[in-house]
Amino acid sequence: MIAILQWTTLAVCALVAVARIPSALRGENRSIFGIFALSTFAIMLSISTIYLVVDAWLGAENYANLILRFLIYGVVLLAGYKIAKGFGAQRSMWFIVGPVGRTVLALVVIATVVPFLLANTTGSSTGLGTLSDQSDRNVELIRLYTVAGRFYPSYIAACLLPATIRTVRSRLPKLPRIGAAVLALGACAMILLSFSELLPRPLAYLQYFISSTAVLGLVLGLALMWLGRVLATKRPART
Amino acid sequence: MPLPAKAFQLWLHVVAPTASTADICRISGIKRTTLAQQLVRGKVAETTLVSISRALGRSPLEDLSSFDSYAGLAGQPQPPTAAELVSQIATMDLLRAVISRSSPAYGGYGDDGSSLTPALGPAPHATSVRNWVDAIDDGELRHRVSAATGVAPQNYSAQLTANRLSPELAVATARAAGVGFTGGLVATGLLTETEAGWAPEAKQAALDALSDGELTALAGERLQSLGRTLRRQEQEHEQTKKIWENLG
Repeated sequence: MIAILQWTTLAVCALVAVARIPSALRGENRSIFGIFALSTFAIMLSISTIYLVVDAWLGAENYANLILRFLIYGVVLLAGYKIAKGFGAQRSMWFIVGPVGRTVLALVVIATVVPFLLANTTGSSTGLGTLSDQSDRNVELIRLYTVAGRFYPSYIAACLLPATIRTVRSRLPKLPRIGAAVLALGACAMILLSFSELLPRPLAYLQYFISSTAVLGLVLGLALMWLGRVLATKRPART
Repeated sequence: MPLPAKAFQLWLHVVAPTASTADICRISGIKRTTLAQQLVRGKVAETTLVSISRALGRSPLEDLSSFDSYAGLAGQPQPPTAAELVSQIATMDLLRAVISRSSPAYGGYGDDGSSLTPALGPAPHATSVRNWVDAIDDGELRHRVSAATGVAPQNYSAQLTANRLSPELAVATARAAGVGFTGGLVATGLLTETEAGWAPEAKQAALDALSDGELTALAGERLQSLGRTLRRQEQEHEQTKKIWENLG
């Protein structure tokens, strides 16, 4: 079930990314293609089968997980910047790439890299749930690492939520508003993901749905914006 | 409330006993699927009735009043007030009247209703619904309509901004304001002025009756609100462009 969900998410993202290649080659908004491509790689690395292969090749020290973290940071930073700019949300921009945003990013990077290097991460394990070293210290370090990894996307999502909701409620044309609604849904899922630790164990599988919703919300929301632009340039805008 | 399908079909049977649905759709220009859908749902739009009535050469106003929910329309309709008539003159026609009354030095004729001034355009115009409601509003009208119909004030305002008003609400508004029922139906474009029984020269006469001061103040108000609308549209256009540039 979860495998189907993950592979479907991957297929959707990969499809959107491939569809965006021609326009990226033409030089139209390459960063959007970057978001699609990075998301695709990030989903690939969160699927166990692929993760284990890549990590084995990297020395089975779970460096693939560290790479995955930075792929996610890259996606949300890039997407957050572009979305905030597109929606003309000055305040969101300030919280994402302004002094505050840069400080948060720096702290998150430190809180990601330091615990990872201090911890004993031997033995490939998707999501670092079943590392061989289960000593208290190691478990604590990994928990800090995981919390930092989930915090940053939630932070960016929280910065974007007001701007996306404002756009949904505005009187702009339909497609950007629907796109903004999908982005807002993805942002909500991204924020929820931070609290998925609190889910009781029997419901832990729900976090896969939440993370898929988050990624699909981002990718499909942006794809709708893209569709809107294509349609708007094809036929002259109606008033 | 749209017309009940049963009553509509009875009416259709009376006014066009031999015509098939296909014939009706062909002469009235209604899509067959649209009519079929309305009949299946049990609610027929007033515009459907008006189109068919018009196509059959009948009086849409009388036909509409043969339905229970529009029974109040029957009989001799109360004529529109002067303010209502002026509200149905397009903003550009008002401005043209201002210029036409000005002295020849400014391109006018210095008189009222000169024969050289182009005729007024037919109602409805781009903001006719809001202008009509403004013309009959005593300040409490929206609350009374809202209380009488149960439609939330913000939904009512949204319809006015979109230059729309359901026929049911248009009638309810007229009732709440104590004016004739035809004003709203003309302002929303359901009926033409002639179909509503308005005299052909009524609008022009109401315009000519305005003093220069009244006319200029009114044109100024209209121009200001037009400016606001245009500015908002420009802003929205800018926002959309920004979204396309960054996310498209």
